[in-house]
Amino acid sequence: MTAEIGQAAIYLSVLSGLWAIGFLCVGLRTRNPNAVRSGRNAVIATFILISIATGALIYGFVTDDFSMRYVVEVSSAAQPLLYKVTALWGRMSGSLLFWLWLLTVAGAIVVWQNHRYNKQTGDTLAAYALIPIAIVQLFFIILVTGLIEGVYNPLARFPNGQVAPDGAGMNPLLQTPSMAFHPPTLYVGWISLTVPFAFAVGALASGRVGSDWILRSRRWTLFSWIVLTVGITLGGNWAYRELGWGGYWAWDPVENASFMPWLLGTAYLHSVMIQEKRSMFKLWNILLITLAFQFTLLGTFITRSGIISSVHAFAQSDIGGYFLGFILISTAGVVGLIIYRWKRLKSANRLESLLSRESAFVLNNWLFVGLTLIILWGTLWPIISEAINGQKASVPEAFFNQVVIIPGLLLLFLTGAGPIISWKKITTNNFRRMFMWPLVIGLVSGALTWGFLALKGNTSPIYSVLCVSAAVFVLVAIFAEFYRGARLRAKRQETSFLNGLGLLIQRNKRRYGGYIIHIGIVILYIGIMGSKGYFLLESDSLSLGESMKVGAFELTMKDSFEREYANYRRAGVIFDVAKNGKRIGTMEPARHFYYKAGQGEQDTIESAIRHFGVNDLYIALGELPRNIKGGDIVNVQVYHNPLISVVWIGVAVMVIGGIIAIAEKSQHSKET
Amino acid sequence: MQKQRRLKIIAASLVLLSGMVFLGYAMLKKTSVRHFTPALLVADQGKVDDQLVQVDGLISEGSSEWDAANFKLTFAVRDRESAATVNVIYKDRLKPDNFVDGGSVFVEGRYDASENLIVATKLMTKCASKYEGAESAIPTDETSYISQ
Repeated sequence: MTAEIGQAAIYLSVLSGLWAIGFLCVGLRTRNPNAVRSGRNAVIATFILISIATGALIYGFVTDDFSMRYVVEVSSAAQPLLYKVTALWGRMSGSLLFWLWLLTVAGAIVVWQNHRYNKQTGDTLAAYALIPIAIVQLFFIILVTGLIEGVYNPLARFPNGQVAPDGAGMNPLLQTPSMAFHPPTLYVGWISLTVPFAFAVGALASGRVGSDWILRSRRWTLFSWIVLTVGITLGGNWAYRELGWGGYWAWDPVENASFMPWLLGTAYLHSVMIQEKRSMFKLWNILLITLAFQFTLLGTFITRSGIISSVHAFAQSDIGGYFLGFILISTAGVVGLIIYRWKRLKSANRLESLLSRESAFVLNNWLFVGLTLIILWGTLWPIISEAINGQKASVPEAFFNQVVIIPGLLLLFLTGAGPIISWKKITTNNFRRMFMWPLVIGLVSGALTWGFLALKGNTSPIYSVLCVSAAVFVLVAIFAEFYRGARLRAKRQETSFLNGLGLLIQRNKRRYGGYIIHIGIVILYIGIMGSKGYFLLESDSLSLGESMKVGAFELTMKDSFEREYANYRRAGVIFDVAKNGKRIGTMEPARHFYYKAGQGEQDTIESAIRHFGVNDLYIALGELPRNIKGGDIVNVQVYHNPLISVVWIGVAVMVIGGIIAIAEKSQHSKET
Repeated sequence: MQKQRRLKIIAASLVLLSGMVFLGYAMLKKTSVRHFTPALLVADQGKVDDQLVQVDGLISEGSSEWDAANFKLTFAVRDRESAATVNVIYKDRLKPDNFVDGGSVFVEGRYDASENLIVATKLMTKCASKYEGAESAIPTDETSYISQ
């Protein structure tokens, strides 16, 4: 019965979606506040209906309703409760419903956030913004109704009252906490980008293309950025701990699909500052947020259409075509609105100099957008090359690793140069006061790094040297900013330096939160440099009692073990680990063998990871014989990953900075 | 003055733009790997000798051999539609999960035409049916890849 209620709710939400779009359009056009209110209520109604449908599906999971097709595909009676609930986004049709539900939550929040504001000022911008939100919702609603080919309704039952004895269950690889939270985090990040996009469209539709739409959606943009940052990192962290290849980023199409909206969102967060301060880039900002939004859909298109095979790959389905169609139609709509409002989108100011903060922002944007396009080009290369040469080809990880280095280093430099260069035009005074010391210290650090690496026998340390130089330059530049500001505050308020620092951040959370993000970026770069550039990998076949060496570490395989758990068996070996000849403990890499009735066992690598400061020793095992004895051979792969913890620390600092920045209240400007 | 400044800005943008395009193009040229089915690879043998290739096919039944002592996996990739096969060696790397007879496999590595052999640097398997339920009568809509 519950499933039928959920299905009915989905069908009804088609009506509430159409209602919202229709009444908002007509109400805003004819200036009829009652119609607008009715449209807003319809957005709330959609939220309630989709919540009912989502709840009904979760109910199906929890009660093991194996007459429902989707439940059978992703859940099973033995699955722990947490993974029964997270099974909601385990596969396509459920994840579409989940996506839709998050969209309706966003829509309801936008209604609620702007409720009082609308009353006070008779403002209609938020109402305009609800139209694109409702349109995107309707697109997803139609997908989950199951009425079109390629997707089925996640609440559908098997035909003829069939009931399966048990569900297939979720892939054991996905049954870990970070996999439970990685996909929804990304979804939340992507969906939050819909709101600033909707405000951009609302601004175009209403003709109020000033900074108002940016300021009023600022928190959404920043929220999305923070959540995407966390989501992408969770994915990398999961891959690192679970997949046994010792890395956290492989430029897989799905990773790229999550990374590209992040890059565009980051570009947008920067370029809006110019519009606020100097009334430039009105058109560019609208284009940029449109692009960022479209890339969230494009990611789904790439991963779900099956046109590109990937580690994650979700098999071929027609759904990619619908996404592509929606992307094209909605982009055409935005372009139409832009042409309609062309005259109002002119900038009030022009770039005055190539060396100015404005130019730094422009360069930043060019680099972010350029990187996105290169990554897109590489990701789509299999399709492009087939279209051009009739020969399918693809680019390996090396392509991405190499193309991002130079733009990446330029961006790192800008992380420090941007905040200290003066507006309009750089002056000698500005250069001497702000740039001199950071540059000198940065260059000296680079030279020292060069010497250090040369001594260690590294023959081509150029990128590491540039990375360290730029990183130190940025840190000195930004710490100097904090120092100067805090000292000034402390002097003015006659208080201690630390109090001054606290006051400084508190009074200008957006600016100094941003600087903290920049510090996090520097830390992240150092981590990436170390872990991607200087890892060691040794493979060996060992039997009990034998040992192998990795860098300064010596590992001796001294024993094996096997333990039984509820739905799997854990088997592995015990290594004695010594560093420079000194014993420091044991590590226990293993494999998990999951039972599956009628299908034998499925095993997964359970790497052993041990932290030494910020470096990791990482052991993964190959196939394991049962009950390992004296002569049995075990295949062992050992990584030494330097500075890998620095990657996670860097992201944590970025997130802290983001939270500080988002705490600043958005002002509503009066301009049009 | 105004005009000169605009020119400078346009020139700088062009330099940056062409730099990015060049970077993308040059790296693509350098790293792009051609994609084959076993049948096409065997047919094209002479032209792709000693080149990096990608091959997509099925793990030929009974061909795979795991030499634990030498940390070496050997097997043959079979074409989906014809009898063509290509041999593969994968050394010093863990055998990917879900490596089963008849399963889908994706291989990247250098091709030696004289021996019809790929020395693989990357191996991906696809688990098409393992989790798709004991009730295989029920159609499902997705599969997943596990990379190594």
